[in-house]
Amino acid sequence: MARIEIDDLTKVYDSGDESIVAVEDLDLAVDDGEFLVLVGPSGCGKSTTLRCIAGLEDVTGGTLQFGERDVTDLRGSERDVAMVFQNYALYPHMTVRENIGFGLKLSTKLTAAEISERVESVAEMLGITELLEDKPKELSGGQQQRVALGRAIVREPSVFLMDEPLSNLDAKLRAEMRTELQELQQDLDVTTVYVTHDQTEAMAMGDRVAVMNDGVLQQVGSPEGIYRQPTNEFVANFIGSPSINLLTAEVDGNTLVGPAGFSYRLSDTAPVEGHSTVRVGIRPEDITLTEDGANHATVSVVEPMGNENFCYMELGDHELTARIDPDLRPQAGEEVRFTFDEKALYLFDADSGAALKTKSDAVSPGIGTEVSR
Amino acid sequence: MREQRRKDAVWMFLTYAFILTMVVVMLIPLYWMIVAATLPQQEFIEFPPRLIPGTAFLDNFAALQERMNYVVTIWNSVFIAVVYTVLSLLLCSMAGFAFAKYEFRFKEPLFYAILATLVLPIQLLVIPLFLMMSQIGWTDTFRAIIIPWLANPIGIFLMRQNMRSIPDALLESARMDGASELQIFYRIALPAMRSSLAALAIILFLFQWDLFLYPLVILEDPGNYTIPVALAGLEGTQRIYYDQIMVATTLAIIPMAILFLVLQKQFVSGILAGSLKE
Repeated sequence: MARIEIDDLTKVYDSGDESIVAVEDLDLAVDDGEFLVLVGPSGCGKSTTLRCIAGLEDVTGGTLQFGERDVTDLRGSERDVAMVFQNYALYPHMTVRENIGFGLKLSTKLTAAEISERVESVAEMLGITELLEDKPKELSGGQQQRVALGRAIVREPSVFLMDEPLSNLDAKLRAEMRTELQELQQDLDVTTVYVTHDQTEAMAMGDRVAVMNDGVLQQVGSPEGIYRQPTNEFVANFIGSPSINLLTAEVDGNTLVGPAGFSYRLSDTAPVEGHSTVRVGIRPEDITLTEDGANHATVSVVEPMGNENFCYMELGDHELTARIDPDLRPQAGEEVRFTFDEKALYLFDADSGAALKTKSDAVSPGIGTEVSR
Repeated sequence: MREQRRKDAVWMFLTYAFILTMVVVMLIPLYWMIVAATLPQQEFIEFPPRLIPGTAFLDNFAALQERMNYVVTIWNSVFIAVVYTVLSLLLCSMAGFAFAKYEFRFKEPLFYAILATLVLPIQLLVIPLFLMMSQIGWTDTFRAIIIPWLANPIGIFLMRQNMRSIPDALLESARMDGASELQIFYRIALPAMRSSLAALAIILFLFQWDLFLYPLVILEDPGNYTIPVALAGLEGTQRIYYDQIMVATTLAIIPMAILFLVLQKQFVSGILAGSLKE
């Protein structure tokens, strides 16, 4: 078990005369036993960060600490970490048993019998006991995934690193493995850094989520925290599915004036003070279609999801998305009126993208009803 | 419909007839060599030629063995080719692995320099190599036959191309498991390359097995001769011993045939490697 502390981590790739900054001045701490998800679009530096933690890449600057130990200059095998790769990276010529035991055989002084015992107990934990003598190519994707996990678990490392381990699975299996992985992590209580580009996965799995973009850490926080209080427009836009609706509006006194006749009167003007233009953000679930709404848009498509409908609307050149009741079936081309609550409104600086105002409605933990005993 | 089927059948027949003809054309010299090895010299030059094997194989072999110790010659060739193949396989696969999976200075120029040596004919290298070998006192030794050809450009090229297909994640995974670079090479990369290694083994073995001019220049003692050199010696100035040459060549193809049969399965999958996504 270890706490990971990353200080000023920088990774620059030099390719001839141009250099690419993959990670810039990253400061991040992962608590002992915590499940941290690194999320961001492809090329944002999340995988590079993970590879630096793993020791597969040398860092250009900064330090890495596991607990009290400075591991910056240690090789991957000396860091007591185990990594699960996106394509599993199982050794094709070895059986499942040999695959799982390979690390123990090389890096510990355990006897063959002890290794075998540990391999078998891990296989049992993952439900792959009957596959132990099979070769990887005989296994399904989900089974290969389990073997890859087994290979990481069997070494009882102080840190787990996972690089998009679920991205090669089909949707149903992915959802299953997601839960299983979380339970496993909780049982083993091992500090875990998990990389994904899938924000749904990040929200669902992480104790905390770290959002990266262009090599720079944007925000670290609880899934709910980054959803409700993003530090900037990028985070607000990246987290949430469907994405937040964003449009540019002029500030006219206490009124926001947007494209195609959009206007919204603020009761609290403090966030926009000193700004002539702002970016306005509204989550799809906060838009309500109502006959007395102050703004109107034209419906382009309605996607029924079963439990809800996604209503795509045009506001001038902008597309707005609203999550609406499944009973509501606006028709394409129909003019609808909509409204939203000021508490649910996000405002961002038009130039820097920094958040001026985020969701401020209260969240009450629990389900709000006392169960009488 | 029936017309089409008849057309197909005719085509099939023609195709097989063509293939069969080619097989016969290729097998006739081999068959004739084996038959000739079993005939006494005077029957060999008869016309029309005899096509049924005779019984003089052992006599011919005894005569050959008397003229030169051919058993030792075969042993020399086998020894040189086997040692060469094993060492060259190791060297080529290591070099191929380094070129495919590591970053180092001058990697590209170095690789192209190695490839460029492909255009140098062996004949061009024989004299300089002979001078080098005689300077270090290696003439008339097997090591002089084996060592200069160990770094085989075709072998290095082939192994580099194939090693590139090994996913980096596999090597990184082994690195995380605590494997040293050497362990990664022989525990992960080599086993993954089995079929390519088999194909290369045949290429390398054949190269050394057929090498003629260079050993002819380097080797002096007939007791050290390899098969091609010894065969050339059978064409005397006075008389050509066809019976003995046929026995010698028949025996010369046996080790090669055995090697091919043993490695055939791997060899074929090596040739096809990468042609299908698995």
